[in-house]
Amino acid sequence: MAEPQPKNLQEGASGDVEDEVQNTAKSAEDRKAAAAMASLDTRGDDAGSSNAVDQEAVSKAMKSLGGGPSAGAAKDVKKVKVDPADVALLVDELDLSKQKATELLKAHDGDAVRAMEAFIAT
Amino acid sequence: MPQPLSSKENSLFRQVIRNYEDKQYKRGLKAAEQILKKNPKHGDTMAMKALIINQQGKTEEAFALGKEALTADMKSHICWHVYGLLYRHQKNFEEAIKAYKFALKLEPESHQIQRDLAFLQIQMRDYQGYIQSRTAMLQARPQLRQNWTALAVAHHLAGNLSQAEKVLTTYEDSLKVPPSKTDYENSEAVMYKNTIIAEMQDYQRALDHLESIAKTNLDRLAVLELRADYLSKLGKKEEAADAYRALLDRNPEHPEYYTKLVEVLGIGADGAAQKAIYDEYAEKNPRCDAAKRLPLDFLVDRELITNLGDDFREAARGYLTLMLDKGVPSTFANLKHLYADQSKRDTLGSLAHEYLESKKASSDGSAPADGDSLNGEPAALYYLAQHYNYHLSRDLAKAMEYVDKGIELLPKNVEFHMTKARIWKHYGNTRKASETMDEARKLDLKDRYINTKAAKYQLRNDENETALKTMGLFTRNDSPGGPLNDLLDMQSVWYLTEDGEAWVRNGNIGLALKRFHAVYNIFDVWQEDQFDFHSFSLRKGQIRAYVDMIRWEDRLREHPFYTRAALGAIAIYVSIYDRSQATNGVNGSEDANGDEAAERKKAAKKAKKEAQKAEREAAERAAKQDPNKSKGAAAEPGKKDDDPLGFKLAATTEPLAEATKFLAPILQFSPKYIDGQIAGFEVFIRREKYLLALRCLNAALALDADHPTVHEQVVRFRQALNSKVESLPPKVAEVLKSKFTIVDDTTDLKKFNASFQEKHKDSPPHVISTVKTERLLGADKTKTEKDLAGVLSLKDASYEHAEEVLAILRQWRSGETDTFKAAAHEKWPEVTAFA
Repeated sequence: MAEPQPKNLQEGASGDVEDEVQNTAKSAEDRKAAAAMASLDTRGDDAGSSNAVDQEAVSKAMKSLGGGPSAGAAKDVKKVKVDPADVALLVDELDLSKQKATELLKAHDGDAVRAMEAFIAT
Repeated sequence: MPQPLSSKENSLFRQVIRNYEDKQYKRGLKAAEQILKKNPKHGDTMAMKALIINQQGKTEEAFALGKEALTADMKSHICWHVYGLLYRHQKNFEEAIKAYKFALKLEPESHQIQRDLAFLQIQMRDYQGYIQSRTAMLQARPQLRQNWTALAVAHHLAGNLSQAEKVLTTYEDSLKVPPSKTDYENSEAVMYKNTIIAEMQDYQRALDHLESIAKTNLDRLAVLELRADYLSKLGKKEEAADAYRALLDRNPEHPEYYTKLVEVLGIGADGAAQKAIYDEYAEKNPRCDAAKRLPLDFLVDRELITNLGDDFREAARGYLTLMLDKGVPSTFANLKHLYADQSKRDTLGSLAHEYLESKKASSDGSAPADGDSLNGEPAALYYLAQHYNYHLSRDLAKAMEYVDKGIELLPKNVEFHMTKARIWKHYGNTRKASETMDEARKLDLKDRYINTKAAKYQLRNDENETALKTMGLFTRNDSPGGPLNDLLDMQSVWYLTEDGEAWVRNGNIGLALKRFHAVYNIFDVWQEDQFDFHSFSLRKGQIRAYVDMIRWEDRLREHPFYTRAALGAIAIYVSIYDRSQATNGVNGSEDANGDEAAERKKAAKKAKKEAQKAEREAAERAAKQDPNKSKGAAAEPGKKDDDPLGFKLAATTEPLAEATKFLAPILQFSPKYIDGQIAGFEVFIRREKYLLALRCLNAALALDADHPTVHEQVVRFRQALNSKVESLPPKVAEVLKSKFTIVDDTTDLKKFNASFQEKHKDSPPHVISTVKTERLLGADKTKTEKDLAGVLSLKDASYEHAEEVLAILRQWRSGETDTFKAAAHEKWPEVTAFA
């Protein structure tokens, strides 16, 4: 890291447990102690496991993964024309977000009546 | 645009960050001011200052400053990151994600920002975004195993099982040396992979994989259980049976092992063969409870049909005798699920009587040897008291008889007094129930369970203050908020719900809403709580538990605790709305409402005064105890509740919007709960969202077409449509026409209602509903009131029905009210509500 960064927020729900241990420390020495304490029950994060890993194999493996996830992620969005008035109608009548209403309409070929019928039947 | 600082100020800036991390906000603020004196437009420092004052509870100022920092230096990733953190603090996660993304664009190398972004994405269940973030994090540090596992989790949760498996395998293949046998992270990761394979329903491969790792895996039990499961799914019955037997040898108290063993052996229909299995384990483990008790579930007495013998009676006799001899207090609780079966219910009752007789005969009426123990005769009395108190075998007079005999034998026994209180409750006498439970409490002041029970019964008797005092005997009371504050901190949902419901009965809707909102917020906190685990579980390597937790969080609000509190809140909001409509519309009722309002104001004023007094006293007490401590508590920012009595909640101008907020999770997670659908209808019809109302109505009809309230709603819906259909958008009207088919627009609703009434003329709830409907359709007021009061003479009428009738008559301001109450009191002299 080139510049120091603000760490996570400190209220209970953010950050993680080890950070909190560190955050309560008062001086540099305390912090060191806290860090040591926190790492007691983690099995050597960086140093430990990197020895066991074949760096070359890892980088090769990385390549084999590349592209995979994004390709799998692409959804087949149907090209359906949707009437904005119908979207507004669904948003109003069914308490939906605009995005959800559009999706619902698209799933029913833009037919508002069928979309609403399907929605209330579930 | 970077804004360079001199080296002295640079080190000051680093100090600000450190101070912030160490929560030394005052020092950090000072240092920040020092930098800003020289460089008043230094964005990063302003951002850090904003972060600090946000922690001090000044959220609005923080946001203003954060924005200013951004305008001063809009190319700084620190400023954007801070802006994201501020949003995050406000729980505006979508905006926070946007800000993080922008910060990341400016500083793609930052692990910190990437991490914060990733955790927010998984918290928001943005799986595709999370996969992207996790891929980037893996690319940055591929030597870390948890980064690989995390990417696999991301794919898994997104539903892409094969990709998840591939990621895990890729990492495994890259290892030069096999991980050590005691490597817990490895052991868990391998098991995680196994469960993914099983989730793909490829059980053969899952089994093969499991066999290959079984020897070294550290989770022995999971290996055994999964193996048995795969074998039985693959139809390898003999091996599966062996596997389940091995599990039973480890733990003969686990019911599922027995059922699975019976299943793979294919002897489900053969009671005798099943019993033999259980007997075998009962013999092997003489102290085992499950092997003796579980057969009672499937054994039947066949003497009525053939003369084959009474298997159930014999087995039940053995079990009951053993338990009563030992004096196991939970005996009835362990057996009551069998009461759903009429003949088993009768058999258990007669067996308990037999047992009692035999004990009486042998003891010659002398008191039991050891003073307070609940075995032998008193155990039988205790069982019978519960037997006659249980709703399926209820005879309250008999229950009272047995419990009194028990108290005579053991006057100091908590259990008997507790059961007596419960019997009073079933009589409808909440006052005596509360008193009796409090007597039980006094018999053992150190028992938290009975203390809690006593408080609950006090709440049922609408004694909110007394109940809080009772609870206060076991809470931490040193904070200014007193016991209630501790109950909130400890997330005591049952107490908050019961307290809210008692406030409803006491007519204090402000405090009732306050409690229901508290429950709602507790569920929010539980949802928020998972945030820590996105990193913690990965670091500890506990992936299977983590995935379980994520899935549990996704349906958190299906818990009945949520539904109950939410229905309470919805009912209040609906009545607030109805009252506001009534005051706007009819002049005649204004007087009464004016009076009510004035009275409410008076009560509120009084309550406020009392609260202030209590607060002062608490503060004084705290100050006396420990001067330093009270200062610390008072200095805590942002903790003060600005509406402790719920006035603001009760004064809402949008009750239906609030109700919808409570309603949505019920409809989403508990759609099979008919009371939820009924409440949904009430909210939506008032909001004139007819499609949504119909959705609830149809769902309720599908669950129970003969439900009395649903019938009423059908009529109301038809009525509403007949008058409104012209003004609705044509497409909506078309959907309503095609989907609301139970009564069409030509039906005579009066006839429809009359035929429904005829069909259910002996059922009190149906009569109540049809009379209400009649009145709605314009029937004569006096007649409907008379008809409603007639419910009292129905054979099946219970005091609960009468309470409902009384409430309706009051609502109608009927002249019948007092006569009815007196008649009900005569019929049920014990019921507190009619006294």
